[in-house]
Amino acid sequence: MKTIPVNLGIEFCGVKFNNPFILSAAPPTDDLDMLKRGLEMGWAGAVLKTTSVEKNKVELVYPMISGLSFENKKVVGMGNIDLISEHHIDLVEKRIEVLKKEFGDERVIAASIMGAKKEDWQHLVKRLKAAGVDIIECSFSCPQGSMGEVPGAMLAQSIPATEMVTRWVKSAAKKTPVVIKITPMVADIVAVANAVKKGGADAICASNTIPSLMGIDIENFIPNPNVAGKTTYSGLSGPAIKPITLKVISELSKTVGLPITGTGGAVNWIDALEFMLCGATTVQFCTAVMHYGYDIIEDLCEGLAFYMEEKGISRVKDLIGKSLPYIVGHDDLSRKNRVTSHIDLKKCVRCGLCYYACQDGGHQAIELGRERRPEVDEEKCFGCGLCQSACPIDDCIELKESEKPRKIATV
Amino acid sequence: MSNKTATTLLPEERKKGFREIHRCYEPHQAYLEASRCLMCEDAPCTKGCPAGVDIKAFIRKIRFHNLRGAIREIREANVLAGICGKVCPQELLCQKECSNTEIDIPINIAALQRYVADVELRRSVSPSARQFAQRIKVAIIGSGPAGLAVAANLAQKGYEVTIFEAEAKPGGLLTYGIPPHRLPSSAVQKEIRYIKRIGVKIRCKTKIMNIDELFKKDFKAIFIGVGLPGARKIGLPGENLKGVYTALEFLKDVITNKGRTKQTKIGKRVVVIGGGDVAMDAASCALRLGAQRVDLVCLEGYDEMPSSPEERRICWEEGVEINTRVMPLKIIGSKGRVTGYKGIGIRWRKPGLFIPSNAIPIPGTEFSLKVDTVIEAIGQIPDTGNVKGFKGIETAGPGYIVAKKKTFKTSRPGVFAAGDIVNRGATAVQAVADGNAAAEAIDAYLKRKR
Repeated sequence: MKTIPVNLGIEFCGVKFNNPFILSAAPPTDDLDMLKRGLEMGWAGAVLKTTSVEKNKVELVYPMISGLSFENKKVVGMGNIDLISEHHIDLVEKRIEVLKKEFGDERVIAASIMGAKKEDWQHLVKRLKAAGVDIIECSFSCPQGSMGEVPGAMLAQSIPATEMVTRWVKSAAKKTPVVIKITPMVADIVAVANAVKKGGADAICASNTIPSLMGIDIENFIPNPNVAGKTTYSGLSGPAIKPITLKVISELSKTVGLPITGTGGAVNWIDALEFMLCGATTVQFCTAVMHYGYDIIEDLCEGLAFYMEEKGISRVKDLIGKSLPYIVGHDDLSRKNRVTSHIDLKKCVRCGLCYYACQDGGHQAIELGRERRPEVDEEKCFGCGLCQSACPIDDCIELKESEKPRKIATV
Repeated sequence: MSNKTATTLLPEERKKGFREIHRCYEPHQAYLEASRCLMCEDAPCTKGCPAGVDIKAFIRKIRFHNLRGAIREIREANVLAGICGKVCPQELLCQKECSNTEIDIPINIAALQRYVADVELRRSVSPSARQFAQRIKVAIIGSGPAGLAVAANLAQKGYEVTIFEAEAKPGGLLTYGIPPHRLPSSAVQKEIRYIKRIGVKIRCKTKIMNIDELFKKDFKAIFIGVGLPGARKIGLPGENLKGVYTALEFLKDVITNKGRTKQTKIGKRVVVIGGGDVAMDAASCALRLGAQRVDLVCLEGYDEMPSSPEERRICWEEGVEINTRVMPLKIIGSKGRVTGYKGIGIRWRKPGLFIPSNAIPIPGTEFSLKVDTVIEAIGQIPDTGNVKGFKGIETAGPGYIVAKKKTFKTSRPGVFAAGDIVNRGATAVQAVADGNAAAEAIDAYLKRKR
């Protein structure tokens, strides 16, 4: 097998990253020793957990994390009712200095901030700059509420506020790149992102956790997490939200034209690659690290490098946005596409899941024949793809182009 | 409906021939098994691997869709990844302390290792490039797992390595001692080809009798990994009758004749003496060659046998009659051919010591079996003449080589030894582990010399 030399390095907002994988603003970046450990293991950079000015009181509640299980899988999603860091700018600026001194240009040190008033935002920016931060990220989207005018609302849910605060930050940051972290919980995310662009930001971080109720203890009726008998809505992260993130990234890439650092649901290199194919330049990780540890960086880098080698792609840059041409509006999809299901009986185990799905959720095109053998009636099959999704066997059901016209129900 | 993707063939299917018992995982099975792994922080599996394979890391790599990384991870510690995946007694090693055992069944680590090795060998991925050419020659005597591990490690470091093998094919006991249903010869040869691609030269049918000649030919270091090619005999009356074989000669015949054995006619009733893995292999081969009844007789109780629990279970499932705590008395014959076996039940004098001298026969428990073939599988010994002919090499007993622990240095400078010839008989993975360490020692020795 032929292989080509691969370079995982990538430039984002003029800052060089050794690889596209970054630790996001979250618990794994809220302690100096943890940060050092993660960066030593090979993470290209870290966004230090969101900090604020000294007078801002942060009172966390515990427990704050609840996992979403599905069947036998733990942490399909993770909910948190965490807030921004309890550590204020005075500590964070020191950490930046230490990390910059220790890692130099080998690692990118970014920091996330949140403020209430203009003076606070700009004060935070000035102090981060003085400490030598590489990139400033602004949390406009903590689901547990910002410190803006409307209590409990996220800054990024207001288009004018987004533009205004972005302008405050950028005017203070000057040459230091500013990234705005937004929420998918808005009616029109493109409008929000355009406000970020108008405000002068260098890039977008898409996107934050999604407000959720994590589940209820049906014995005592108290939802999770149970904080002395009460709960509140959590921010949902992890694999469960990956499709939402992919949608947000691709939509913004196609319309807004600002570089994107993607976050929300990536666990392995394939997830990260998908983010990049949708237009993300770098990918941030939190839940996967909180679940499996910093170690996963090795597999992210190695997995992506092997993939690129085999694909003959030598630069990460060439992957970014590669899938965007294939995403269009619904109106632009072909109405003439006619496919039907074909079941490979050699692979089929006769479980009948396709039959169930087609009978009760499709077009009654699959019947069970001799020895429970599923048979597709090509004329009845619409090619919806439900059976393929339900089938437990890889590559057992294939959708193939069909000449046969559809039979449409008359009653 | 037959199970198309079961990892182990059913006993009835197995007995029909020499098809490999364990099948390779399908991708979805490997992924499912890997995703059961708890990825424990202080992974006990990793500690249980003699070769030090980072098991947690390689399983994580499967789970995180990094198969090439997984095989790299295994091969770095164990160049015979595929072979060991097939023959390692995982229940006694890596799998023993698996945390999953507490909540479910342990992870099938060996099957996962087989899977990644298989995927790699199918794609014929090239080994990573050699570090640098050293133009220093090293000779390896014997191409069993120890020799292969030393050779691969040194070749990776850039040495010019030549293996000298007495037999026609390389691999030692892997090639001539383990039957195809446990380890197909194609699997061994594939991995040996991989080692050749690293740059190791193998010269078969070349028995080294004199190590001075190697030094004269400019080999700067020599590694002896000749293993234990001789079969131990009990010394029973009737042992010289026709139809009495040692397990080694029997297995070699089965393997080289691909199951259609010509020389060895085993008849309908076979008795195998011994309780180790080789005895299990001989018994399962006898069944496959058409024996109607195979009795395994061993000194140990069922849980005292040295064989791996899995091998024992496989024989039992296939219908081998396992007679435990039995001592052979004599082999009965007529007209120069075996006709029967006579044994007696025993108890132990001291508990926990499973050796013949500790066995006390129980009067009145004598029994005899009508048999056509007797196979003795009670252990291997060195090729005494060969080993004792190596000048300046200290030996013990019948010709075990004395080598220092950790450095595997023999009494002669520049000569190293490991594997069965030193440890007196252990697993393939142990030989690899010792081979890895010996390679490091040889490298250090050669660096000091320069």
